[in-house]
Amino acid sequence: MTDATRRLSLVAAAILVLFLTWAFIAARPWAAHGAAPPDPRVRALVAREVRLRHDAVLVRRLVEGRWRRYRVALHHRRLVIAKANAHHRHALAVAAAAQRSAVQAASIRSSGPTYSSASSAPPVRIVTLPALTITRSS
Amino acid sequence: MMLEHRFGAMGTSCELLVDAPESFVVRRAMRNAEREVHRLEALLSRFQPDTELARLNREGRVRAGPELLELVRLALKARRLTGGRFDPTVLPALAAAGYDRSFESVSGSGHSATGTAPRCGGGVQIDHATRVIEVDAGVQLDLGGIAKGWTADRLCRMLDLHAPSLVSLGGDIAASRPPATGAWPVGVESPTGQLTIALARGGLATSGRDRRRWRHGDEELHHEIDPATGRPSATDLMRVTVAAETAADAEVSATALLLAGEARARIEADRFGIPCVLVTRDDRAVLAGGLS
Repeated sequence: MTDATRRLSLVAAAILVLFLTWAFIAARPWAAHGAAPPDPRVRALVAREVRLRHDAVLVRRLVEGRWRRYRVALHHRRLVIAKANAHHRHALAVAAAAQRSAVQAASIRSSGPTYSSASSAPPVRIVTLPALTITRSS
Repeated sequence: MMLEHRFGAMGTSCELLVDAPESFVVRRAMRNAEREVHRLEALLSRFQPDTELARLNREGRVRAGPELLELVRLALKARRLTGGRFDPTVLPALAAAGYDRSFESVSGSGHSATGTAPRCGGGVQIDHATRVIEVDAGVQLDLGGIAKGWTADRLCRMLDLHAPSLVSLGGDIAASRPPATGAWPVGVESPTGQLTIALARGGLATSGRDRRRWRHGDEELHHEIDPATGRPSATDLMRVTVAAETAADAEVSATALLLAGEARARIEADRFGIPCVLVTRDDRAVLAGGLS
Protein backbone atom coordinates (compact mmCIF):
# COMPACT_ATOMS: atom_id res chain seq x y z
CA MET A 1 0.00 0.00 0.00
CA THR A 2 1.41 3.37 -0.94
CA ASP A 3 1.45 6.39 1.29
CA ALA A 4 -1.06 8.13 -0.86
CA THR A 5 -3.48 5.33 -0.53
CA ARG A 6 -3.03 5.13 3.17
CA ARG A 7 -3.65 8.86 3.51
CA LEU A 8 -6.78 8.71 1.48
CA SER A 9 -8.07 5.87 3.61
CA LEU A 10 -7.36 7.77 6.80
CA VAL A 11 -9.21 10.83 5.51
CA ALA A 12 -12.20 8.72 4.56
CA ALA A 13 -12.20 7.01 7.93
CA ALA A 14 -12.01 10.38 9.68
CA ILE A 15 -14.98 11.68 7.66
CA LEU A 16 -16.98 8.55 8.50
CA VAL A 17 -16.19 8.93 12.21
CA LEU A 18 -17.19 12.60 12.05
CA PHE A 19 -20.51 11.72 10.36
CA LEU A 20 -21.30 8.98 12.86
CA THR A 21 -20.51 11.30 15.75
CA TRP A 22 -22.82 13.95 14.28
CA ALA A 23 -25.56 11.47 13.82
CA PHE A 24 -25.21 10.18 17.39
CA ILE A 25 -25.34 13.70 18.81
CA ALA A 26 -28.34 14.61 16.58
CA ALA A 27 -30.26 11.58 17.79
CA ARG A 28 -30.01 12.81 21.40
CA PRO A 29 -30.06 9.37 22.93
CA TRP A 30 -29.76 10.91 26.36
CA ALA A 31 -33.24 12.47 26.08
CA ALA A 32 -36.02 10.64 28.00
CA HIS A 33 -38.22 8.13 26.00
CA GLY A 34 -42.23 8.45 25.64
CA ALA A 35 -44.55 11.34 24.67
CA ALA A 36 -45.49 14.01 27.06
CA PRO A 37 -48.92 13.42 28.68
CA PRO A 38 -51.66 15.01 26.41
CA ASP A 39 -53.29 18.21 27.45
CA PRO A 40 -56.73 17.50 29.12
CA ARG A 41 -58.28 20.31 27.11
CA VAL A 42 -57.25 18.57 23.91
CA ARG A 43 -58.71 15.33 25.20
CA ALA A 44 -61.97 17.06 25.97
CA LEU A 45 -62.06 18.62 22.53
CA VAL A 46 -61.45 15.26 20.87
CA ALA A 47 -64.18 13.59 22.92
CA ARG A 48 -66.58 16.39 22.06
CA GLU A 49 -65.76 16.07 18.37
CA VAL A 50 -66.54 12.36 18.47
CA ARG A 51 -69.81 13.01 20.27
CA LEU A 52 -70.79 15.71 17.78
CA ARG A 53 -69.98 13.52 14.81
CA HIS A 54 -72.17 10.79 16.31
CA ASP A 55 -74.98 13.26 16.91
CA ALA A 56 -74.64 14.56 13.34
CA VAL A 57 -75.09 11.04 11.98
CA LEU A 58 -78.21 10.57 14.10
CA VAL A 59 -79.64 13.92 13.03
CA ARG A 60 -78.92 13.15 9.37
CA ARG A 61 -80.70 9.82 9.65
CA LEU A 62 -83.66 11.49 11.34
CA VAL A 63 -83.90 14.23 8.71
CA GLU A 64 -83.55 11.78 5.85
CA GLY A 65 -86.33 9.64 7.30
CA ARG A 66 -88.59 12.61 7.71
CA TRP A 67 -87.76 13.85 4.17
CA ARG A 68 -88.57 10.45 2.76
CA ARG A 69 -91.92 10.36 4.56
CA TYR A 70 -92.66 13.91 3.43
CA ARG A 71 -91.93 13.01 -0.20
CA VAL A 72 -94.25 10.00 -0.05
CA ALA A 73 -96.99 12.07 1.59
CA LEU A 74 -96.49 14.82 -1.00
CA HIS A 75 -96.79 12.31 -3.83
CA HIS A 76 -100.03 10.95 -2.39
CA ARG A 77 -101.35 14.44 -1.87
CA ARG A 78 -100.55 15.42 -5.43
CA LEU A 79 -102.37 12.31 -6.69
CA VAL A 80 -105.42 13.19 -4.62
CA ILE A 81 -105.35 16.79 -5.88
CA ALA A 82 -104.97 15.67 -9.51
CA LYS A 83 -107.87 13.25 -9.11
CA ALA A 84 -110.01 15.95 -7.54
CA ASN A 85 -109.10 18.39 -10.31
CA ALA A 86 -109.94 15.84 -13.01
CA HIS A 87 -113.26 15.10 -11.33
CA HIS A 88 -113.98 18.80 -11.09
CA ARG A 89 -113.11 19.40 -14.75
CA HIS A 90 -115.31 16.46 -15.81
CA ALA A 91 -118.20 17.78 -13.73
CA LEU A 92 -117.75 21.23 -15.27
CA ALA A 93 -117.66 19.77 -18.79
CA VAL A 94 -120.80 17.72 -18.17
CA ALA A 95 -122.59 20.73 -16.72
CA ALA A 96 -121.48 22.93 -19.61
CA ALA A 97 -122.59 20.35 -22.16
CA ALA A 98 -125.94 19.98 -20.44
CA GLN A 99 -126.38 23.73 -20.34
CA ARG A 100 -125.34 24.04 -23.99
CA SER A 101 -127.78 21.31 -24.99
CA ALA A 102 -130.58 22.89 -23.01
CA VAL A 103 -129.93 26.33 -24.50
CA GLN A 104 -129.59 24.85 -27.98
CA ALA A 105 -132.79 22.83 -27.66
CA ALA A 106 -134.66 25.80 -26.20
CA SER A 107 -133.48 28.15 -28.93
CA ILE A 108 -134.33 25.61 -31.63
CA ARG A 109 -137.83 25.02 -30.29
CA SER A 110 -138.56 28.65 -29.55
CA SER A 111 -137.60 29.84 -33.02
CA GLY A 112 -140.38 27.97 -34.88
CA PRO A 113 -139.96 26.38 -38.29
CA THR A 114 -138.90 28.37 -41.33
CA TYR A 115 -138.28 25.53 -43.84
CA SER A 116 -135.21 25.64 -46.01
CA SER A 117 -136.76 25.12 -49.42
CA ALA A 118 -139.85 27.23 -48.93
CA SER A 119 -138.90 29.85 -51.48
CA SER A 120 -137.67 27.39 -54.07
CA ALA A 121 -140.24 24.61 -54.11
CA PRO A 122 -140.49 23.07 -57.58
CA PRO A 123 -143.62 23.57 -59.64
CA VAL A 124 -145.88 20.57 -59.13
CA ARG A 125 -149.49 19.87 -59.96
CA ILE A 126 -152.02 17.10 -59.70
CA VAL A 127 -152.51 15.29 -63.00
CA THR A 128 -154.53 12.35 -64.22
CA LEU A 129 -151.66 10.44 -65.82
CA PRO A 130 -150.79 6.93 -64.68
CA ALA A 131 -147.95 7.05 -62.20
CA LEU A 132 -144.47 5.87 -63.18
CA THR A 133 -143.54 5.35 -59.56
CA ILE A 134 -145.02 5.99 -56.16
CA THR A 135 -143.95 7.83 -53.04
CA ARG A 136 -144.85 6.32 -49.69
CA SER A 137 -143.80 6.62 -46.11
CA SER A 138 -140.14 5.75 -45.87
CA MET B 1 -137.68 5.26 -73.71
CA MET B 2 -137.62 4.76 -69.98
CA LEU B 3 -134.87 2.53 -68.57
CA GLU B 4 -135.56 1.02 -65.16
CA HIS B 5 -133.32 -0.54 -62.56
CA ARG B 6 -134.62 -1.89 -59.24
CA PHE B 7 -132.78 -3.26 -56.23
CA GLY B 8 -132.99 -3.45 -52.46
CA ALA B 9 -130.82 -1.32 -50.16
CA MET B 10 -131.07 0.80 -47.00
CA GLY B 11 -133.82 -1.48 -45.74
CA THR B 12 -136.15 -0.57 -48.56
CA SER B 13 -136.76 -0.95 -52.29
CA CYS B 14 -134.92 1.36 -54.66
CA GLU B 15 -135.81 2.36 -58.18
CA LEU B 16 -133.83 4.19 -60.85
CA LEU B 17 -135.56 5.59 -63.95
CA VAL B 18 -133.61 7.16 -66.79
CA ASP B 19 -135.29 8.72 -69.80
CA ALA B 20 -132.86 7.45 -72.40
CA PRO B 21 -132.65 4.80 -75.12
CA GLU B 22 -131.22 1.43 -74.14
CA SER B 23 -127.44 1.66 -73.97
CA PHE B 24 -124.57 -0.05 -72.26
CA VAL B 25 -123.28 3.26 -70.88
CA VAL B 26 -126.55 4.15 -69.16
CA ARG B 27 -126.96 0.62 -67.80
CA ARG B 28 -123.44 0.78 -66.41
CA ALA B 29 -124.24 4.15 -64.83
CA MET B 30 -127.29 2.61 -63.18
CA ARG B 31 -125.23 -0.28 -61.82
CA ASN B 32 -122.68 2.25 -60.53
CA ALA B 33 -125.49 4.13 -58.87
CA GLU B 34 -126.59 0.92 -57.13
CA ARG B 35 -123.00 0.36 -55.94
CA GLU B 36 -122.95 3.92 -54.63
CA VAL B 37 -126.08 3.24 -52.56
CA HIS B 38 -124.46 0.17 -51.01
CA ARG B 39 -121.27 2.13 -50.35
CA LEU B 40 -123.19 4.92 -48.61
CA GLU B 41 -125.22 2.39 -46.63
CA ALA B 42 -121.94 0.94 -45.35
CA LEU B 43 -121.02 4.40 -44.07
CA LEU B 44 -124.34 5.68 -42.79
CA SER B 45 -126.38 2.76 -41.49
CA ARG B 46 -127.03 2.73 -37.76
CA PHE B 47 -127.72 -1.02 -37.81
CA GLN B 48 -124.35 -2.22 -39.10
CA PRO B 49 -121.77 -2.13 -36.29
CA ASP B 50 -118.78 -0.94 -38.32
CA THR B 51 -120.23 2.10 -40.10
CA GLU B 52 -119.00 5.59 -39.30
CA LEU B 53 -122.40 6.47 -37.88
CA ALA B 54 -122.47 3.38 -35.64
CA ARG B 55 -118.99 4.27 -34.33
CA LEU B 56 -120.11 7.82 -33.62
CA ASN B 57 -123.14 6.52 -31.74
CA ARG B 58 -121.02 4.02 -29.83
CA GLU B 59 -117.98 6.16 -29.02
CA GLY B 60 -119.46 9.67 -29.01
CA ARG B 61 -116.80 10.94 -31.36
CA VAL B 62 -115.54 10.01 -34.79
CA ARG B 63 -113.25 11.37 -37.48
CA ALA B 64 -115.78 11.36 -40.29
CA GLY B 65 -115.57 11.08 -44.03
CA PRO B 66 -117.03 13.82 -46.25
CA GLU B 67 -120.38 12.03 -46.66
CA LEU B 68 -121.16 11.73 -42.96
CA LEU B 69 -119.86 15.26 -42.31
CA GLU B 70 -122.15 16.73 -44.97
CA LEU B 71 -125.14 14.71 -43.89
CA VAL B 72 -124.78 15.61 -40.20
CA ARG B 73 -124.31 19.25 -41.13
CA LEU B 74 -127.45 19.05 -43.26
CA ALA B 75 -129.41 17.34 -40.48
CA LEU B 76 -128.38 19.96 -37.90
CA LYS B 77 -129.35 22.73 -40.31
CA ALA B 78 -132.72 21.02 -40.78
CA ARG B 79 -133.17 20.81 -37.02
CA ARG B 80 -132.58 24.55 -36.76
CA LEU B 81 -134.85 25.42 -39.69
CA THR B 82 -137.73 23.26 -38.49
CA GLY B 83 -137.58 24.58 -34.95
CA GLY B 84 -136.49 21.15 -33.70
CA ARG B 85 -139.34 19.15 -35.25
CA PHE B 86 -136.88 17.33 -37.45
CA ASP B 87 -134.13 16.15 -35.15
CA PRO B 88 -131.38 13.60 -35.90
CA THR B 89 -130.89 12.96 -32.16
CA VAL B 90 -134.07 10.92 -31.77
CA LEU B 91 -132.25 7.59 -31.86
CA PRO B 92 -132.40 6.90 -28.07
CA ALA B 93 -136.14 7.62 -28.21
CA LEU B 94 -136.53 5.34 -31.24
CA ALA B 95 -134.60 2.61 -29.48
CA ALA B 96 -136.66 3.07 -26.33
CA ALA B 97 -139.79 2.69 -28.43
CA GLY B 98 -138.42 -0.62 -29.71
CA TYR B 99 -136.91 0.34 -33.08
CA ASP B 100 -133.35 -0.52 -32.08
CA ARG B 101 -132.52 -2.91 -34.93
CA SER B 102 -133.43 -3.25 -38.59
CA PHE B 103 -137.18 -2.99 -38.93
CA GLU B 104 -137.59 -6.62 -40.01
CA SER B 105 -136.30 -7.65 -36.56
CA VAL B 106 -138.32 -5.18 -34.51
CA SER B 107 -140.72 -6.79 -32.08
CA GLY B 108 -142.97 -5.30 -29.46
CA SER B 109 -140.17 -4.69 -26.98
CA GLY B 110 -140.59 -0.94 -26.70
CA HIS B 111 -141.41 1.06 -23.61
CA SER B 112 -144.97 1.87 -22.85
CA ALA B 113 -146.19 5.43 -23.08
CA THR B 114 -146.05 5.76 -19.32
CA GLY B 115 -142.30 5.13 -19.16
CA THR B 116 -139.68 7.89 -19.10
CA ALA B 117 -138.98 9.13 -22.63
CA PRO B 118 -135.36 9.78 -23.58
CA ARG B 119 -134.39 13.41 -24.10
CA CYS B 120 -133.93 14.64 -27.69
CA GLY B 121 -132.19 17.76 -28.96
CA GLY B 122 -128.76 17.03 -27.50
CA GLY B 123 -125.59 18.76 -28.61
CA VAL B 124 -123.71 17.74 -31.73
CA GLN B 125 -120.46 19.47 -32.60
CA ILE B 126 -118.66 19.39 -35.95
CA ASP B 127 -115.04 20.47 -36.19
CA HIS B 128 -114.58 21.03 -39.90
CA ALA B 129 -110.84 21.61 -39.54
CA THR B 130 -110.19 18.18 -38.04
CA ARG B 131 -113.30 16.50 -39.58
CA VAL B 132 -114.31 15.33 -36.13
CA ILE B 133 -117.96 14.95 -35.12
CA GLU B 134 -118.64 14.79 -31.41
CA VAL B 135 -121.93 14.31 -29.60
CA ASP B 136 -122.82 15.06 -25.99
CA ALA B 137 -123.10 12.22 -23.51
CA GLY B 138 -126.16 10.08 -24.22
CA VAL B 139 -126.78 11.60 -27.65
CA GLN B 140 -127.07 9.27 -30.64
CA LEU B 141 -127.95 10.08 -34.22
CA ASP B 142 -130.43 8.51 -36.63
CA LEU B 143 -130.05 9.82 -40.17
CA GLY B 144 -132.47 7.33 -41.76
CA GLY B 145 -134.95 9.53 -43.61
CA ILE B 146 -132.69 12.41 -44.51
CA ALA B 147 -129.95 9.99 -45.55
CA LYS B 148 -132.29 8.34 -48.07
CA GLY B 149 -133.32 11.72 -49.48
CA TRP B 150 -129.74 12.95 -49.64
CA THR B 151 -128.64 9.72 -51.33
CA ALA B 152 -131.46 10.00 -53.87
CA ASP B 153 -130.33 13.56 -54.70
CA ARG B 154 -126.76 12.34 -55.06
CA LEU B 155 -127.67 9.45 -57.37
CA CYS B 156 -129.86 11.72 -59.42
CA ARG B 157 -126.92 14.05 -60.07
CA MET B 158 -124.82 11.04 -61.10
CA LEU B 159 -127.41 9.74 -63.56
CA ASP B 160 -128.25 13.18 -64.90
CA LEU B 161 -124.84 13.20 -66.59
CA HIS B 162 -126.41 10.77 -69.10
CA ALA B 163 -130.09 11.73 -69.31
CA PRO B 164 -133.02 13.05 -67.27
CA SER B 165 -133.49 10.68 -64.36
CA LEU B 166 -135.60 9.94 -61.35
CA VAL B 167 -134.39 8.09 -58.25
CA SER B 168 -136.70 6.61 -55.65
CA LEU B 169 -135.29 5.20 -52.42
CA GLY B 170 -138.22 3.76 -50.52
CA GLY B 171 -140.43 6.62 -51.59
CA ASP B 172 -137.91 9.46 -51.22
CA ILE B 173 -137.83 10.70 -54.80
CA ALA B 174 -135.39 12.97 -56.60
CA ALA B 175 -135.77 14.09 -60.19
CA SER B 176 -132.98 15.89 -62.02
CA ARG B 177 -134.90 17.53 -64.91
CA PRO B 178 -138.07 16.86 -66.88
CA PRO B 179 -138.21 13.83 -69.14
CA ALA B 180 -139.33 14.09 -72.75
CA THR B 181 -142.97 13.86 -71.62
CA GLY B 182 -142.58 17.09 -69.59
CA ALA B 183 -142.85 15.76 -66.04
CA TRP B 184 -142.48 12.64 -63.94
CA PRO B 185 -145.90 11.35 -62.82
CA VAL B 186 -145.52 10.17 -59.24
CA GLY B 187 -148.30 8.42 -57.34
CA VAL B 188 -149.32 9.45 -53.85
CA GLU B 189 -151.49 7.13 -51.77
CA SER B 190 -154.66 8.81 -50.58
CA PRO B 191 -157.80 7.53 -48.88
CA THR B 192 -159.81 8.02 -52.07
CA GLY B 193 -157.37 6.21 -54.31
CA GLN B 194 -154.11 7.29 -55.79
CA LEU B 195 -153.32 10.91 -56.63
CA THR B 196 -150.71 11.57 -59.27
CA ILE B 197 -148.33 14.50 -58.91
CA ALA B 198 -146.44 15.74 -61.95
CA LEU B 199 -142.91 16.50 -60.80
CA ALA B 200 -140.66 18.26 -63.30
CA ARG B 201 -137.58 18.38 -61.08
CA GLY B 202 -136.68 18.46 -57.40
CA GLY B 203 -137.68 16.14 -54.61
CA LEU B 204 -140.77 14.45 -53.30
CA ALA B 205 -140.95 12.60 -50.01
CA THR B 206 -143.54 11.12 -47.72
CA SER B 207 -143.40 10.81 -43.96
CA GLY B 208 -146.02 8.87 -42.15
CA ARG B 209 -147.00 6.63 -39.32
CA ASP B 210 -148.69 4.12 -41.60
CA ARG B 211 -145.51 2.08 -42.13
CA ARG B 212 -142.75 0.91 -39.81
CA ARG B 213 -145.12 0.50 -36.92
CA TRP B 214 -145.40 -2.21 -34.32
CA ARG B 215 -147.37 -3.05 -31.24
CA HIS B 216 -146.35 -3.01 -27.61
CA GLY B 217 -149.19 -4.60 -25.66
CA ASP B 218 -152.29 -2.63 -26.56
CA GLU B 219 -150.29 0.36 -27.72
CA GLU B 220 -149.35 0.94 -31.35
CA LEU B 221 -145.92 2.46 -31.80
CA HIS B 222 -144.29 3.88 -34.94
CA HIS B 223 -140.99 5.41 -36.04
CA GLU B 224 -142.02 9.06 -36.34
CA ILE B 225 -140.70 10.36 -33.02
CA ASP B 226 -141.73 13.79 -31.81
CA PRO B 227 -138.49 15.31 -30.41
CA ALA B 228 -140.52 17.53 -28.07
CA THR B 229 -141.85 14.50 -26.18
CA GLY B 230 -139.39 11.76 -27.10
CA ARG B 231 -142.34 9.50 -28.02
CA PRO B 232 -143.98 8.45 -31.28
CA SER B 233 -145.98 11.42 -32.52
CA ALA B 234 -149.65 11.53 -31.73
CA THR B 235 -150.93 14.18 -34.13
CA ASP B 236 -154.02 13.86 -36.30
CA LEU B 237 -151.98 13.29 -39.46
CA MET B 238 -151.30 9.84 -40.82
CA ARG B 239 -149.06 10.77 -43.73
CA VAL B 240 -147.60 13.87 -45.38
CA THR B 241 -146.14 14.10 -48.89
CA VAL B 242 -144.07 17.19 -49.72
CA ALA B 243 -142.45 18.54 -52.87
CA ALA B 244 -139.27 20.54 -52.38
CA GLU B 245 -136.10 21.62 -54.11
CA THR B 246 -134.35 18.39 -53.12
CA ALA B 247 -135.46 15.03 -51.78
CA ALA B 248 -133.59 15.70 -48.54
CA ASP B 249 -135.48 18.99 -48.06
CA ALA B 250 -138.75 17.24 -48.91
CA GLU B 251 -138.06 14.57 -46.30
CA VAL B 252 -137.31 17.19 -43.63
CA SER B 253 -140.39 19.28 -44.44
CA ALA B 254 -142.63 16.19 -44.55
CA THR B 255 -141.47 15.15 -41.08
CA ALA B 256 -141.90 18.67 -39.69
CA LEU B 257 -145.42 19.02 -41.12
CA LEU B 258 -146.43 15.56 -39.92
CA LEU B 259 -145.45 16.52 -36.37
CA ALA B 260 -147.26 19.84 -36.65
CA GLY B 261 -150.73 18.33 -37.02
CA GLU B 262 -153.25 19.14 -39.72
CA ALA B 263 -154.28 22.67 -38.77
CA ARG B 264 -150.78 23.98 -38.21
CA ALA B 265 -149.37 22.06 -41.18
CA ARG B 266 -151.89 23.69 -43.52
CA ILE B 267 -151.02 27.14 -42.19
CA GLU B 268 -147.28 26.57 -42.47
CA ALA B 269 -147.49 24.94 -45.91
CA ASP B 270 -149.52 27.85 -47.27
CA ARG B 271 -147.38 30.46 -45.54
CA PHE B 272 -144.07 29.04 -46.73
CA GLY B 273 -145.33 27.77 -50.09
CA ILE B 274 -144.64 24.09 -49.50
CA PRO B 275 -146.72 21.97 -51.92
CA CYS B 276 -147.99 19.02 -49.94
CA VAL B 277 -150.65 16.36 -49.52
CA LEU B 278 -151.79 15.85 -45.95
CA VAL B 279 -153.57 12.60 -45.18
CA THR B 280 -155.37 12.71 -41.86
CA ARG B 281 -156.03 9.84 -39.48
CA ASP B 282 -159.74 10.07 -40.27
CA ASP B 283 -158.98 9.36 -43.94
CA ARG B 284 -159.12 12.77 -45.58
CA ALA B 285 -156.61 14.02 -48.14
CA VAL B 286 -155.90 17.75 -47.91
CA LEU B 287 -153.90 19.65 -50.53
CA ALA B 288 -151.94 22.66 -49.27
CA GLY B 289 -149.05 24.95 -50.13
CA GLY B 290 -150.36 25.82 -53.55
CA LEU B 291 -150.76 22.24 -54.78
CA SER B 292 -153.85 21.77 -56.93
